[in-house]
Amino acid sequence: MMMLSEDKAKVLTDKILAMVKADDAAVSVNSSKNSHLRFANNNVLTSGSREGLNASVTVWIGGKRGTASTSDHSDASLQAMVDEAERIARSAPVDREYVPTLGKQIYKPVNSYFEATANLSLTDRARQIGAVISECERNKVIGAGFHSASSQAGATATRNGNFEYYRSTGVGLSVTARTPDGQSSGYFQRSHDDIRRLDTLRIARESVKKALDGRGARAIDPGVYTVILEPQAVADILGGGFSGLFNARNAEEGRSAFSAPGGKTRLGEKMFDEKLMIYSDPWHPELPGQPSAQGGIPAQKLFLVNKGVIETLVYSRFWAKQKDKMPTPGPVNTILESAGPITSVEEMIRTTERGILVSRFWYIRATDARNASSTGLTRDGVWWIENGKVAYPLKNFRFNQSTTTLLGQGNVLAISKPERVGGSEGGNGFLLPHLKVKEFNFTSQSEAV
Amino acid sequence: MGFSRRDFIKSAGFAIGSVAAPVWLNGSAAAMAAEAFAEVKKDDLADTALATAKRLGAGYADIRINRYRTESVSTRERQVLNVSSSQNFGFGVRVLVNGTWGFAASPIISVDEVRRVTSEAVAIAKANSVIQRRKIELVPTPRITATWRSSFEKDPFDVTSNEKVAALLAINESALSIAGITFVNSQVAFVNEQKYLATSDGSRIEQYLIRTNPSFSVTAVNRSTNDFQSVNSLLQAQNIGFEYLTKRDWAADAKTAAEHAVMKLSAKAVEPGKYDLVLHPSHLFLTIHESVGHSTELDRALLWEANYAGTSFLTPDKTGKLKFGSNMVNFVADRTQPQGLATVAFDDEGVPAQEWDLVKEGVFVDWQTTRDLAKLLGRDRSYGCLHADSWGSVPFPRMPNVSLKPAKEDITQNDLISGVDKGILIYGRGSYSIDQQRYNFQFGGQTFWEIKGGKVVGMLKDVAYQSKTTDFWGSLDGLGGKETYEIPGSFNDGKGEPGQSNAVSHGCPPARVRNIYVLNTSAGLSAGQMEDHE
Repeated sequence: MMMLSEDKAKVLTDKILAMVKADDAAVSVNSSKNSHLRFANNNVLTSGSREGLNASVTVWIGGKRGTASTSDHSDASLQAMVDEAERIARSAPVDREYVPTLGKQIYKPVNSYFEATANLSLTDRARQIGAVISECERNKVIGAGFHSASSQAGATATRNGNFEYYRSTGVGLSVTARTPDGQSSGYFQRSHDDIRRLDTLRIARESVKKALDGRGARAIDPGVYTVILEPQAVADILGGGFSGLFNARNAEEGRSAFSAPGGKTRLGEKMFDEKLMIYSDPWHPELPGQPSAQGGIPAQKLFLVNKGVIETLVYSRFWAKQKDKMPTPGPVNTILESAGPITSVEEMIRTTERGILVSRFWYIRATDARNASSTGLTRDGVWWIENGKVAYPLKNFRFNQSTTTLLGQGNVLAISKPERVGGSEGGNGFLLPHLKVKEFNFTSQSEAV
Repeated sequence: MGFSRRDFIKSAGFAIGSVAAPVWLNGSAAAMAAEAFAEVKKDDLADTALATAKRLGAGYADIRINRYRTESVSTRERQVLNVSSSQNFGFGVRVLVNGTWGFAASPIISVDEVRRVTSEAVAIAKANSVIQRRKIELVPTPRITATWRSSFEKDPFDVTSNEKVAALLAINESALSIAGITFVNSQVAFVNEQKYLATSDGSRIEQYLIRTNPSFSVTAVNRSTNDFQSVNSLLQAQNIGFEYLTKRDWAADAKTAAEHAVMKLSAKAVEPGKYDLVLHPSHLFLTIHESVGHSTELDRALLWEANYAGTSFLTPDKTGKLKFGSNMVNFVADRTQPQGLATVAFDDEGVPAQEWDLVKEGVFVDWQTTRDLAKLLGRDRSYGCLHADSWGSVPFPRMPNVSLKPAKEDITQNDLISGVDKGILIYGRGSYSIDQQRYNFQFGGQTFWEIKGGKVVGMLKDVAYQSKTTDFWGSLDGLGGKETYEIPGSFNDGKGEPGQSNAVSHGCPPARVRNIYVLNTSAGLSAGQMEDHE
């Protein structure tokens, strides 16, 4: 199966729009290929390839809306899809949040498609994973991991004349190394759009090193500690819906950590540490984002947090219209940088009298939306820092922590240069640094390895 | 549970030995879709896949040709946000070549594409067999020819979207009738799986499943104090049809939830400390899921999930030995429970659905297995836990319904409460988090009720409890009887790489557990606020 070219995608979206009798419509077509190799116990577990097609249409008839989709691009199936969407729309109540679809937009291209990734060869992948497994065997650790690659190409179009074609590739590898006695575990993962930028052996070595360095972990009392979070740990914290905090509607409706008394919001307030810059940039060379944001609006670079101040709340097209604002052109990725000088992780450790270095978090779940609190656990590498040096490995902890307090004024002590990382439980669009924070709240010990 | 496998087969329309005329065809819109599915010459496609795989050197092969339909409706307050309908059709071929798995899948249904995709699956297996250290082997399973459909009265795909919208708007209206309720969201999703499986062992199986997943959330906001509280629906998805929306009074549930959301704004914040807990099935099912369902997955114990979902504190050497809970704790794995979301007639490699003990009288006794896992355990058959969430997903070990047996005696929830001096009664699933070996956990809920002197005396808020799996189940000293048994479930249980989503239920009565640490989840969580309870 071939991926959709721009011409082919245009033919398909035109065909679907021509089938539509409704007043307004938004259509999308997509083709994809995903492949993976999963290993565990230093042995291949599963490996596969999946091709996919999708088409979907949302129509409005007299302001009433219906949506249908199909995995079959044949004319008969597309017609059945359009008929189904129109059948739903005709019998639905009026969509009170309907905003007419966009007319023609201009998109500034983003370079996120790489042939080398799309054409990944089976033998190359097997050779690379074979080398990862050999690295684990050589170090007498038990390796498990997941190598995956994806490519997608598709387009969206509207009855009002917009058309956007977008294609992208992605490849990633995560490796977990465990010591045979089950007492220590290390994890490392990285991903990129371009397979030539993915250093699989480095990922294996970092994971193995963490497992070996984590042997002989000691238990210490839970409590409030100064911590240094590796970029992976920062990604895990922010991956749990951090950008959702910036939803304007929730804040204005009084049900968000960014709500203020009397129907106001925290927009413009210095709620975060002044060292923090948090922004989205579709054209960042290390982290290309999609060229379009919600509803097909051309994405723009925008700051969510500028020197600690909430600079943007995100307005959907509907909510913007209600509130007489412009719809927000993002975010399409998450980048956290220091507003001032950067500090290396070595320097962060050297200046720490007593503290904890955290590699990664796991199973983070929100506990209180009012203050953006969540609970979760450390996993795969925790170390005690004493007198400027990593002293010994620690057993895991559970934490209960408000994210706004974590990143709040005075709590962020140092920020390193960011690097590209994905969240352990999802979310792939992060460029994040090491963060040293003054107080982090661990609430119980966890024996899990 | 009192439901034998024989009853199950009888009631569910099981028809062994016949694939020509699917039993679910009945002239409806659903039947038209099923007919379209039936029109595809699946046996011919399967013959092509299995012959191609064999010719290219596969020792075992199977093909799944599946169609999935979903319909979703979402609303807020007095308006509809969206009604959507989707269908997804394709096939996936799995081959075992030289003891290495290969898999490939495509949405294009044709003999040529089946041949091409099968060749790709074999090529993947061969490329990786070079780095395979130990070969995958399968235990045998009987050859089956069968069709089956899940147990439902009214196919939701025969019901107009108007009726679905009206049902949700009635829920919203009921919630909005309570003063102080500002927001209500409600949604329902219906899923139909039409699954065909052919294996090189000679099995040919068709299954037709319906799932229904309604839910709502109500929110009360106090703008002057900048406070808000939500309560979600207590009921969860089930393997039944549209009758789930009509036979139960959801509007009454919404009204109660709305009253509770308003009460929560002024409810007493919990004082951290040790409490006895009485846990309603709408809450307890998720604690079972996380601490029992996942810890007894053999693939986790054998480190197959080490890189993502995690391993297990249970290991094969603890089978039959480890004290998992108190003597009254009995967990059964069961893929035959009516309305259970993981209920099927056969798993995705043709193994018949079964019921077996996982924890018996407090002792951990057995695992969840598939054909390759059973071989590693030295068993001669699988318990039938292989599942793929799509034609395009590699099937892998997934959880059956894992359920807690009720007490033999006729015990009510109030009987359990009457035995508590200082405690909390918890309803509904809230925030939940558990470590990667399924031991240290923290669970919240939807509504919390203070128990004093054997009676419920008022509402609490900001409650979550922390415990460890064996401590928690070891502290259980009371269970409700058969009359209190419910079977809540979850539509989306994530596991595996690439990630897959599985629907699963956990039947249980209310349970009483003693002396569990409860924390207060609100406020700034400043230094020293949390009690060290280790």
